[in-house]
Amino acid sequence: MWNQIGQAIHDSMARVMTQIAKLLPGILAFIVALLIFLVLGWLFAFVLRRVLTAMKFDEHVGRGARGSIAEMSPEHTPTVLITRLVFWCFVVLGLLVGLSAFGASSAEPGVAAYVFAYVPRLIGAAVLLFAGNVLARFLSRSVLIGAVNLNLHYARLLALGVKWLVLVLTAAMVLDHLRIGGAIVDLAFGILFGGIVFALALAVGLGSRELVSRSLGREAAKPSEVQPEQQKLRHF
Amino acid sequence: MSGIEFPAELQKKIDETSPVDVVIGVTGTADLSALRTKAKCLRGIAPDGENGQPAKIVVAYAGAAVADPVTALEDGMLLAEYPTPPAAEVMNLWRDVSAAQRSVLALAAAWQSRACMVIYGDLAGLEAEPVRAFVEPVVKGGIDLVMPVYPVSKHDGLINKSILAPMSRALYGKRVRWPLAADYCAGAKMLEKLASDGARAQREADLLWPSNVVAMNGGQINQAALKVRHAPPADGLDLNAVLQELVGSLFEEAEACAAQWQRARASQPATRQGEPCPPVESGEPVDTGPMVESFVIGSRNLEEVWRLVMPPATVLELKRLARLEPEQFRMPDALWARIIYDFALAHRMRRVSRTHVLGALTPLYLGWVASYVQEVAGATALEAERRVDQLGKVFEEQKPYFVSRWRWPERAV
Repeated sequence: MWNQIGQAIHDSMARVMTQIAKLLPGILAFIVALLIFLVLGWLFAFVLRRVLTAMKFDEHVGRGARGSIAEMSPEHTPTVLITRLVFWCFVVLGLLVGLSAFGASSAEPGVAAYVFAYVPRLIGAAVLLFAGNVLARFLSRSVLIGAVNLNLHYARLLALGVKWLVLVLTAAMVLDHLRIGGAIVDLAFGILFGGIVFALALAVGLGSRELVSRSLGREAAKPSEVQPEQQKLRHF
Repeated sequence: MSGIEFPAELQKKIDETSPVDVVIGVTGTADLSALRTKAKCLRGIAPDGENGQPAKIVVAYAGAAVADPVTALEDGMLLAEYPTPPAAEVMNLWRDVSAAQRSVLALAAAWQSRACMVIYGDLAGLEAEPVRAFVEPVVKGGIDLVMPVYPVSKHDGLINKSILAPMSRALYGKRVRWPLAADYCAGAKMLEKLASDGARAQREADLLWPSNVVAMNGGQINQAALKVRHAPPADGLDLNAVLQELVGSLFEEAEACAAQWQRARASQPATRQGEPCPPVESGEPVDTGPMVESFVIGSRNLEEVWRLVMPPATVLELKRLARLEPEQFRMPDALWARIIYDFALAHRMRRVSRTHVLGALTPLYLGWVASYVQEVAGATALEAERRVDQLGKVFEEQKPYFVSRWRWPERAV
């Protein structure tokens, strides 16, 4: 009996080792392909950055196009954005080639097919995440500056609120796009959003009624207080 | 060519009647009957021709300019209707005025006029004496541009006093009191240059800065007193929008003409001709508390934006100012000049969106206004004028800082 048990363990070990041995070339091929494309991406991005800097691309690029880039991502110049885009294109390409190599060299072609089918969703989600992030920052800054120019003491709080509102909305959209979480995300987002609105309604209607009315009253009274001083000064 | 084309009928009339001596163009919507009445007093504002012929004067106003755009007035003067330039899509203070000024200058260039006087639409400046004071130096003295000096109190024209005039003086090297004027007179040599103003005239957002353009072209600029007070229609425009429009345009001008202003050295005075305007005294005290409060709120909340625009030392200095008692609040001139230069650079570099850059300037500007109002509280209008002149000098002294940052924006300061 001990012989039979030993034989069974030996057989299963052999089967597992064979499976691993079958997967190993695919994994290696995946890693090698990814590394090659990472190096290629870095090289291309480096050369492209040098060329664009030498060409003074940022200065030559059209006013309108540059303006719109700046509105969306103010801290990045067109050169940086293009070189980063090229680098990440190479990384994605490396991932796809690696997956293809993994599928070809392993006995599990279904994995590669599943991942390939998921790639468009991943790309869509990445775009959503990027756009949401940039939009959150832009809107938050717009609200901050607008609120400061209206002399609102809680300007930063407002800006932070707007930023997180957009980020939470983006996160929900990304998860929904990736089909992660399913109905839980919808439900959680609905509860969160509804909760915020409900809390605000309660704050205005009940809990902070006096505080809010005082604040609104102060805001409404402000123009008449400021008016005489404004009339004494002419800015233009 | 100025790049502005006129309807065929108007062009035909121009060809038939050119050259003329003076074109007086009214910008904006003008009351036609008032214009006809006031135009009568313009006879004799320009010297007669060599053969004793009376000077040919055209009075132009904005309209459709389709049928019969040029009519003869008494005394041989002509009344011309030039096509109203398309209005800017957004509500604005000065863009439409600038577009109309360009049209008037282009009209004068097409008419081969010796001088062109631009008059604001309220017609306050359309009187014989002031028009003569502007036109004569151009026609007789060969001056390229005569800019106005308006009689204002120490609390008037604060954007002009704090940013537009001192920065224009430092960059373009001419001490002009009102670089963005509603009334001025330009000579024949400068008409094309002002009307076209390079490619910038094509862009809706760009205002026409006559004295800056003439200074860059090496023209001679004089200033004459004009005892009128205009009230540009600022309904529906808040301070932020006005700053965005005026200061944004000045910053764009600086970006477009960087090669020229970097060469300009110490400023030259623009000769003041005629009698100076009597100073307008303003005895009413102004409460600077709300403005200091705006500055403090900005300092508390906008640090992340300010740090993207200004070097750490400047932000630190502003933080220190925000801790002062309102009555002790003073913004040093050198600090203010560096702030404006930093914002001009950030506007160029687009480190932050341009709308945000100019929006973040508003609390700082209110801080400057509070500081200035407190400083000149007990001063006469003349002393306040000297104070503004002093600010212009400091802008000039700080120009090397701006040039250095403009050339090497990434270098630490």
